[in-house]
Amino acid sequence: MLRNYLKIAWRNLLRHKAYSAINIIGLATGISACLLIFLYVGHELTYERNFPNAEHIYRVVSRVNFHGEDDRFSLSPKPLADHMRREIPEVKKVTRLAASKKQTVWKDQQPFLEDNLFFADSTFFQVMPYTFLAGDPVTALRAPRTIVISDELARKYFGSVEKALGQPLQFSRNQHLVTGVFKAEKHSHLQASAFFSMVTKDEAERTGKDAETIAAQENEWILFGYYTYFTLHHPASLPAFKQKLADLVQRRAVPWLKENEISASMELMVQPIPEIHLSNDFQTDISPSGSQSYVYIFSVVAVFILLIACINYMNLATARSAKRSREVGLRKVVGAHRSQIIGQFLGESILITLLALVLALAMVELSLPVFNELTEKQFALSSLLNTNFVLLILAILLFVGLVAGSYPAFFLSGFRPVEVLKSDKNPRGSNAWLRRSLVVVQFTISLVLIIGTAVVYSQLQFLKNKNLGFNKEQVLALNLPKGDSLFQERLTVFQQELTQNPNFLQTATTGNIPGERLARLLMLVEEEDGTEKDQTMNVMFVSYDFLELMGIELKEGRTFQKGIPTDEKGAVIINEAGVKWLGWQNPMGKRVQVTDYDAKVIGVARNFNYASLHNPIEPLMIIPIKENTGYLLAKIRPQDLEASLTFLEQQWKAFAPRHPMDYFFMDDHFNRQYQAEEKMLTVFGYFAALTILIACLGLFGLASFTAEQRTKEIGIRKVLGSTVVEIVLLLSKDFALLVLLAILIASPVAWYGMKNWLQDFAYQVNLSPWLFFTAGLASLLIAVATVGIQAAKAALLDPVKSLRSE
Amino acid sequence: MLKIVNLQKKYTTDEVETTALNGISFEIKPGEFVAMMGPSGCGKSTLLNIIGLLDNPNSGEFWFLDKEVSRSSERQRADLRKHHIGFVFQSFNLIDELTVQENIELPLIYQKLSGQEIKERVNEAMEQMQIAHRRNHFPQQLSGGQQQRVAIARAVVSKPALLLADEPTGNLDSAHGREVMELLSALNEAGTTVVMVTHSPSDADYAHRIIRLLDGQIVTESITERHAARVLSPEF
Ligand SMILES: Nc1ncnc2c1ncn2[C@@H]1O[C@H](COP(=O)(O)OP(=O)(O)O)[C@@H](O)[C@H]1O
Ligand SMILES: [Mg+2]
Repeated sequence: MLRNYLKIAWRNLLRHKAYSAINIIGLATGISACLLIFLYVGHELTYERNFPNAEHIYRVVSRVNFHGEDDRFSLSPKPLADHMRREIPEVKKVTRLAASKKQTVWKDQQPFLEDNLFFADSTFFQVMPYTFLAGDPVTALRAPRTIVISDELARKYFGSVEKALGQPLQFSRNQHLVTGVFKAEKHSHLQASAFFSMVTKDEAERTGKDAETIAAQENEWILFGYYTYFTLHHPASLPAFKQKLADLVQRRAVPWLKENEISASMELMVQPIPEIHLSNDFQTDISPSGSQSYVYIFSVVAVFILLIACINYMNLATARSAKRSREVGLRKVVGAHRSQIIGQFLGESILITLLALVLALAMVELSLPVFNELTEKQFALSSLLNTNFVLLILAILLFVGLVAGSYPAFFLSGFRPVEVLKSDKNPRGSNAWLRRSLVVVQFTISLVLIIGTAVVYSQLQFLKNKNLGFNKEQVLALNLPKGDSLFQERLTVFQQELTQNPNFLQTATTGNIPGERLARLLMLVEEEDGTEKDQTMNVMFVSYDFLELMGIELKEGRTFQKGIPTDEKGAVIINEAGVKWLGWQNPMGKRVQVTDYDAKVIGVARNFNYASLHNPIEPLMIIPIKENTGYLLAKIRPQDLEASLTFLEQQWKAFAPRHPMDYFFMDDHFNRQYQAEEKMLTVFGYFAALTILIACLGLFGLASFTAEQRTKEIGIRKVLGSTVVEIVLLLSKDFALLVLLAILIASPVAWYGMKNWLQDFAYQVNLSPWLFFTAGLASLLIAVATVGIQAAKAALLDPVKSLRSE
Repeated sequence: MLKIVNLQKKYTTDEVETTALNGISFEIKPGEFVAMMGPSGCGKSTLLNIIGLLDNPNSGEFWFLDKEVSRSSERQRADLRKHHIGFVFQSFNLIDELTVQENIELPLIYQKLSGQEIKERVNEAMEQMQIAHRRNHFPQQLSGGQQQRVAIARAVVSKPALLLADEPTGNLDSAHGREVMELLSALNEAGTTVVMVTHSPSDADYAHRIIRLLDGQIVTESITERHAARVLSPEF
């Protein structure tokens, strides 16, 4: 029986090559898109899985509330770890981690800039079980100036893992001894390339300070500078631990805040590390986190693409059912049960799915390079070979085989032999209604994706072109090396040297730039009535000429000026939002005290979007700094960019031979805040194109089927004088109506969905009806073109031939 | 073999009711060869389909192998068809995608038979119908007469007690038609009960008995000349 089924399935496949090709290619495209998406989703959902027992490794995160403003940090207060270790017995090991800035590493007189550097307590590797390739994880970070590096770094600087151990690694200011090499872990929120010992940092912070200052510094509960990781003796004691953590805050942090007259409340929470990657509600996270909602959206898109492909199969199979009806009738005559016939057709669809699956795997392999670039991941076809994915592939096989196959199977097996075996008549080629509805479903899904893509695109264009209140075009930023005093001193000379070149219009140094996370600092501000009050506000540290270079306008007052002694002593500029927030009637001259910087307001800056357009403009205090830290900004002419960069490079080499040049353009940097959306746009774009492609493939098949069925009618019409155009219109009209219906359904759905998506932005593009109209028109044209080709082919047939062939 | 009492069959399409069979009663004994004749549309095929358990009557009794089956389920009817009934159609109804051998094999794959047994039976049927040399051909590569021989082979491969043929020679020229009739006749002589619908008096002559229908009713039943001669001949 099975052999007979297989034979007939196979021969049907070969006999109707065009149909089979449409089916298999459509399904394969759907399956490959689905597999790619699941690769990505699977990856997103399994972060940290290379750490044994990752679900029992936790991180403390904080929520701090200053004056009703909620801030969530993935960092925790400095004294926390120590208190947890001493006062909460449930804790097995607790350890601290702190981020370091980029640093320069030297090899053979050559500077290399290294990122992803951290300071870690000596206990760190007992909490985060990195695989050690050399060295002892327990003792590696005990001494000052020791470093544990990744195998990648080991190979880069020492040639191999073995050669690295015990060797000094040369940084700009000092050497660190390599005491361990760990296996780099990319599938983690913590993508470290090296860990310095925490005692190195502690020592540096203590030098030159007396015991009292040090003790106070150690007890700063408001200093959120450390990531705190821990494990418990028993995972089951987590609730008890949480209670004790809350008690600890009450016992230690609250009295300290009161004592220091800081009116803030604080809550500490616990996060198992596998949850870190997809939770993006904490500021200051180590690496850009993933997005739960994108994982959902992509999964849904994957299922939809698969569904569209399945619908193709269903539609083509039922459209062609007349061709199989005689076989069904006959099998029933000789005694086949309906269930056996259902089984046969399901088997057939599974066979086709199997073929499609093989093709899909080939397609995945071919598209992986593009996909990897898109996702910035390193997927390989072999990643599909683990048990989970084999199970998933089997599930897809069954899902597609059954979903796509069940309808034709039930439909075909329902044929009554008495009817289908009548010698002359063809059985009802019916169920055109269902087929039509399914086409509408396909195009609705495609259209929602197309409109979605269009909305994301126009929103991004809108974000990039919106007037931000400052000029981000043609501004180049150089990262200034930290702690090189020699360089600091010569910076002014360097700046003068640069502006000698007519391409360099202006330069300025600044501590912060727009698009960067700013510190929110506690300050004492003067109220309208002369009293003083605690406030926290975003603070931007800039040089005197920063505002001018960035083209930020002032609403009132003046900008910082060299030579005015009061500016040197203490002056700040506040933005409009800040004035409004503080309720100042008369901002000029108000007193502001930020830590020990005592200043007067000398100007009010017009609101400018210093942060991403996801958020409205928040209050901002702009404070001038004298020392040259952070960035050197240069406004350059758009012409001769190449030459300007070469010139810059030369100058830099001459002035700072000890530091590799590290620069970027302001607009790129600012737009990087929309990276997630950019990625979504690309992915959406690809998948929207895929769905419309698959849907059109199905339409193509259906149209050719209709054309075939109506050959005779077309012949007669032609004989009676219809033109080719009239016939094409006649055949395309039905399909065009279906697409129009899909447009009507898809538009409100897409509108609703995208309105929701836009809620993420404080500034939203207008959803103009034109956008919907254009997307609809585009897909209508594509569909009509698809159908039209088939219709034209049929219309161009010689009527004499088509009438005789019956 | 089978007995029909006051059988009634109506079709309703587009609110028009057609009475295809109206109070039909007759009996067919094992080993008989019965021809059914009548003008187009008089209900012959409908009656044959009911006898072949492809369709249920609206009322009346239908006794098949001593069981009342006029209200049996699709599944029961399929099982009866599978084991006891073979069909031959005017338009052959071979499956284009299967070879001669595979077409003949078809009824057997739904029965619990070993591969060996299937092979033997198929070979036997092919020999009997003289088409073994075409076993690997596809239907389209055969002449009409050959196709009908394949169809008959398929109908008898499961050794049914009852063979039903609806205008088996309708699509054939007279030479091939005669060939097919000889085969049916031979099968009948070997013990198979045959019920055949035909328009051709010469074909009907192969039968023992002719049932004539008109507008869904039996008008006459008569014994054929050939059969009468045989019945009367002393050696029978
Ligand atoms: N499936 C059907 N639906 C409706 N009417 C039918 C159907 N099959 C047959 N009939 C009607 O029943 C009558 C008998 O048909 P049929 O048995 O095919 O006649 P015959 O085989 O004698 O030519 C005819 O009037 C025909 O139109
Ligand atoms: Mg008939």
